[in-house]
Amino acid sequence: MGILSIASIGAVMSSSESDDHEHGSFRGAWLESRADVRPVDNETYQSECGGCHFAYQAGLLPGQDWQRIMDSLVEHYGDDATLDELQATEIRGYLLDNAADGSRLPRARAFSVGSDTGDVLPRITNRRYFQREHYEIPKRVVRGNAEVGSFSNCQVCHSTADAGIYNEHQVVIPGFGKWDD
Amino acid sequence: MKTNITFAIAGVVATSMAYGSAVNLIEGYRNAGAGPFSPDAGGSAWTQQHQSSSGVDTRSCSSCHGTDITQPGRHVRTGKPIEPMAVSMSPARLSDPKKVEKWFRRNCRWTLGRECTPQEKGDFIQFMTSQ
Amino acid sequence: MHETILHSHDTIHDPKSNMVRVWDPLLRLFHWSLAGSFAIAFVTEDDLLVLHVWAGYLILGLIMIRVLWGFIGPRHARWSDFVKEPAEIFTYLKAVIQSRAARHLGHNPAGGAMVVALMLSLTVTGLTGLAVYGAQELSGPMAPLFSGLSEGWAHALEDIHEVLANLTLLLVLLHLVGVALASLQHRENLVRAMVTGLKRSGTE
Repeated sequence: MGILSIASIGAVMSSSESDDHEHGSFRGAWLESRADVRPVDNETYQSECGGCHFAYQAGLLPGQDWQRIMDSLVEHYGDDATLDELQATEIRGYLLDNAADGSRLPRARAFSVGSDTGDVLPRITNRRYFQREHYEIPKRVVRGNAEVGSFSNCQVCHSTADAGIYNEHQVVIPGFGKWDD
Repeated sequence: MKTNITFAIAGVVATSMAYGSAVNLIEGYRNAGAGPFSPDAGGSAWTQQHQSSSGVDTRSCSSCHGTDITQPGRHVRTGKPIEPMAVSMSPARLSDPKKVEKWFRRNCRWTLGRECTPQEKGDFIQFMTSQ
Repeated sequence: MHETILHSHDTIHDPKSNMVRVWDPLLRLFHWSLAGSFAIAFVTEDDLLVLHVWAGYLILGLIMIRVLWGFIGPRHARWSDFVKEPAEIFTYLKAVIQSRAARHLGHNPAGGAMVVALMLSLTVTGLTGLAVYGAQELSGPMAPLFSGLSEGWAHALEDIHEVLANLTLLLVLLHLVGVALASLQHRENLVRAMVTGLKRSGTE
């Protein structure tokens, strides 16, 4: 009886001790992250908008910002990204349906917090939530890093960005390794 | 042995389809009054530098697609990899005429500041099929 | 001096065996729900944010209920039963080290101190968690208040929350050591007691 109690207590103790382990690989082994924002599930958006840059998920900007972008495709951050009417309508609808302000996921909703950008073209990297999350990253690790170049290239460091998973445990910065907070 | 033959046939079919669609595009441009087309003209236009509208930088097709189009390119701003433009490397390159026109429209406007003429487009197609 | 007394009017005494009911059902449910919720919160962290946050809400809610129950519940659930002055706690701890600590039916003084420590630690952890949710994730009931904080402050809060969570884990480990020790010294299975609510009657 005494042995049983010691054994059971020992088991509980060791399992709770294991929570203290290094997060990376141990965590990946038995805890699968859920998407922070809904992954892209529209073919047209993926192929048209993911052709030149990472296909940013709709949940990364509020609806009014997506409207602004779709209204100004001819001057799309220095490029001409005009689409034919049918595609433009489909994409606009998809983006508005899945925008940050209507999302059920708290991190996507967090992207809708903050004031209007006014006339300036909206940028995900200017959202308050984005800046909060990237506050501790030194610029040289991104802008001064030839393999990354810009904070806009999410998928370079966020290895699971395609799946809409952005949590810090999956961040590997080229030339610097895993991001350890 | 059978697998090898299947692959060889598939390769021939894909390649002929690729060049077949190139021929269709060329026909279209010829009907618009352009021609004759030359891969060399396309090749030299490929690397020609143009001033951007802001005047800050110069641009050419090679800015993103590189000078050796059998190699993959990189988007000059985002760094996103682009499959080689040479039809020999990317047989499906010219298979969708709508797509071809879309990219011509966007990229010519970005590079040259205007749409490309049918002559210029024809020359580019010849260049891409010659590599 | 051995001082555990059985009051028949508020413990259930089974005349056939020598077991008495010490822990009431609500208290036991609270204990295991709390343990489970903390485990979930600790493990999910911000990988499964929604689950983590709900575990946190549950922890805070459970604690509020337990605090109330400590005033109106049965004898061994009450704060007055086991919250002792520091002097008495230290005396008891000394006795534990010397393997001559008295057996208590309810929480002994050291155990009582751990209850208070854990509840406090969990509460502060949970509250800072709420603050971080508002300041860093711009979500939850505290968001209107905290989302305007500077990035520096938001990150500081996150670090504080993490430290407190680790502190709580440390307390949990100490708690387990304490439970093991008491079980050994008094030759009973305290873990089972917290499941069934029953303990051997008497003081030995």
